[in-house]
Amino acid sequence: MIATIAKLIARRLLAAIPILLIVSALLFCVLRLLPVDPAAMSLPPTATIAEIEAKRRDMGLDRPLPEQYLIWLKAALHGDFGRSIALGREAGSLVALTLPATIELALSAMAIAAVLGIGGGLLLFHLRGSWLESVADLASILLLSIPEFLWGLILLFVFGVVLHALPFTGEVSPSLPQPHITGFLLLDSLLIGRLDIFASACRHLILPAFALGLAFSPAIMRVLRSSLFDVYHEDYIAQARLRGLTERQILLGHALKNAALPTITLAGVQFGILFSGTLLVEVIYSYPGMGNLMVDAVRNADLPLIQAIGLTYCVVVLLINTLVDSLYVVLNPKLRVH
Amino acid sequence: MSGPLIRSLRSPRVWIAFAMVMGVGFCAVFAGAIAPHDPAEQNLLSILLPPAWLQGGDPSFPLGTDSLGRDVLSRLIYGARTAMIVAFFASVGAMIIGTVLAHISGYFGGAVDWIIGRLVDVWMSFPPVILSLILMVGLGVGLDRVILAIVLVDWTRFCRVLRSEVLIVTRKDYVSAARLLGFSHWQAIVREVFPATLPLLITLFSLEMAIAVVVEAILSFVGLGVGPDQAAWGQMIADARQYVYQSPWNLLLPILCIFFTVAAFNLLGDGLRRTLDVRLAETGH
Repeated sequence: MIATIAKLIARRLLAAIPILLIVSALLFCVLRLLPVDPAAMSLPPTATIAEIEAKRRDMGLDRPLPEQYLIWLKAALHGDFGRSIALGREAGSLVALTLPATIELALSAMAIAAVLGIGGGLLLFHLRGSWLESVADLASILLLSIPEFLWGLILLFVFGVVLHALPFTGEVSPSLPQPHITGFLLLDSLLIGRLDIFASACRHLILPAFALGLAFSPAIMRVLRSSLFDVYHEDYIAQARLRGLTERQILLGHALKNAALPTITLAGVQFGILFSGTLLVEVIYSYPGMGNLMVDAVRNADLPLIQAIGLTYCVVVLLINTLVDSLYVVLNPKLRVH
Repeated sequence: MSGPLIRSLRSPRVWIAFAMVMGVGFCAVFAGAIAPHDPAEQNLLSILLPPAWLQGGDPSFPLGTDSLGRDVLSRLIYGARTAMIVAFFASVGAMIIGTVLAHISGYFGGAVDWIIGRLVDVWMSFPPVILSLILMVGLGVGLDRVILAIVLVDWTRFCRVLRSEVLIVTRKDYVSAARLLGFSHWQAIVREVFPATLPLLITLFSLEMAIAVVVEAILSFVGLGVGPDQAAWGQMIADARQYVYQSPWNLLLPILCIFFTVAAFNLLGDGLRRTLDVRLAETGH
C-alpha cells in the first residue's frame, strides 16, 4: 500500500517537472524582456557606458536568450540563483532564510481554514430547510467576497488597533532574541526551551494566520455543504436511516466520509492559492517572510531575487497541488486501479 | 436570453447588488462634482483630522484629513473612480482575450484546444499575486499599466470556465443544423455558440470586476499601482497603516469602501448566476 502511494507521488512529481521547466523559462523570459538592465542596475549610477558593457558581457547578457536561460538553469540546479542586486547577498540564501517563516504562517492558516471550513460546512448543512439557511447562505457569500488582503486589514484594525488585544507587527516581540537552528521560529524557541519566545511568536502569528484562514474557509464550507447535499441523495443514506441510525450517526459516520473527496480536491487547490496569499498578509503585518522579501525585490527591480522567489512560490504551489492530487487517488478506491 | 435576464430583474438580491454597484459607479462618474475638495490639495496645517462629528473635527473636512492634510472624503470618491476604471477596463480586456480563446479552443477542439489548454495550465501555475507583481516590475506604475497587468493575469479565468461551456454548446444539434444550413465556422460561433455562453459570461464579468477592484487595491497598497498622483484606496490604506494610532478612521474608511464594492459585485455575480443559469434555476438551488 505504502509502496503504491510512494510510486504514485513519485510519478506525479515527475510529471510536474516539464511544467516547472516551462514556468522557469517563462519567468526568465518575462524578466529579461522587461525594460530593466540588470547590468546597469548592479553598478553605481556613476558607471560609464564601457563599464556597463563590460558588466553585461560578464553577466552573459550579450548572449542569445536561450543560451542565457541554460546558463541560469545550470546555476540554479546547483542552488546558485545569482546575487541580489540591492542586498548584495546570494538570492538563494535569502530565500532559504525567509521561507521557514512563510511556511509556518501558511501551515497555521491551512489548519485554521480546514477547521473553520469543515465546521462551517456542517453547520450550513445542518441549517438546511430552516429560515436561518438563507441568512447563513448570504453570510457565506459575503464572507467569500472578503479576500485575505481585507481580512488582514480588518483583523489588524479590530484586534490590534481598537482592542489592543494582539500584536500586529513582526514575527516576535523585538525585545526578545531570535534563535536560529532550523529557521522555524516556533520550533527553534521550543528547542532552546524558551517558552516566552514561543508564546510571543504564537501571539504574533494569530492575526496573520486567521486573516488567511478566514479568507479560504468559506470556499471549503460551501463545497462541503453541496457535496453533503449530493451524498444525501444516495441510497445508502436512506438505508442507514431504515436501519435506525440517528441523523448525527448518518452525517458523521456515513455522509461526511463520502463528501470529503470533492472537498479535499477543492481544499488542495485552495491551499496552493493560500500559500501565495501569504505574500499580502506578510506585507500587512510586516511579517519577515518571503512575501516581504518579494515586495522589496519588486520595488528595487532586483531581478535575480525576483526570479528566485517567484520560482520558489511556483515550486511550492506545484508541490502542494501534486500532493493533493495523490491524496485524492489514495482516498478514492475507484481510482486505485492498477 | 431575454427570458432569464427579465427573471433576474425580479430577484431582490440582484436589485440590491445592482443599486450598490450603481452607487459606487455614481461616485466614480461624478467625482468632480460631488467631492468637496481637490483630492491632491494639501493642508499641512490640518493633518490627520478626525471625521467632523468627533472632537477636533472640522466641518469642511467631513471625514477628516490624511497625513498630508488631504480631504479623506474627496480621496475616497476619487478612489472609487480609480477602482471602477481599472475594474471595468481590466475585466473587459480579460473577458475579450479569454472569450475568444475559449471559443476557438472549445469549438475546434483537437490540437488548437490542446495548445490553448496547456497555455492556460502553465499560466495558472503562476500564483496570480506573484505574476501581477512580476509584470508590474516591467510595466511600471500607472492606471493603464495596472489594467494591462490584470488583463494579462486574469484572462485564464474566463478561458477555462467558458471553454467547457463552449464544448457543451458546440455538440448541441442546433449548431450542427446551422452548419448544415451553410453557416461558416465563424458564423456558427458568433451566431449560435456565443449567445448561448452569454449568461455565464455576464456572471464571470461581474465576479471579475470584484477581483480587479481587490487587485488594484493590493497593487496600490504595495506602491506598485496607479502611481502617487492618483487617489486610490490601496494607497490610502498603506498611508493610514503608518499612522494607525493617531488616526484609525483613515484606515477603516478605505477598507469599508473596498469591502462594499467587492461585496456588491460578488452579490451581483451570485444573483445573476442563480437566475441566468438555467440548470441551477431548474433544480431550485
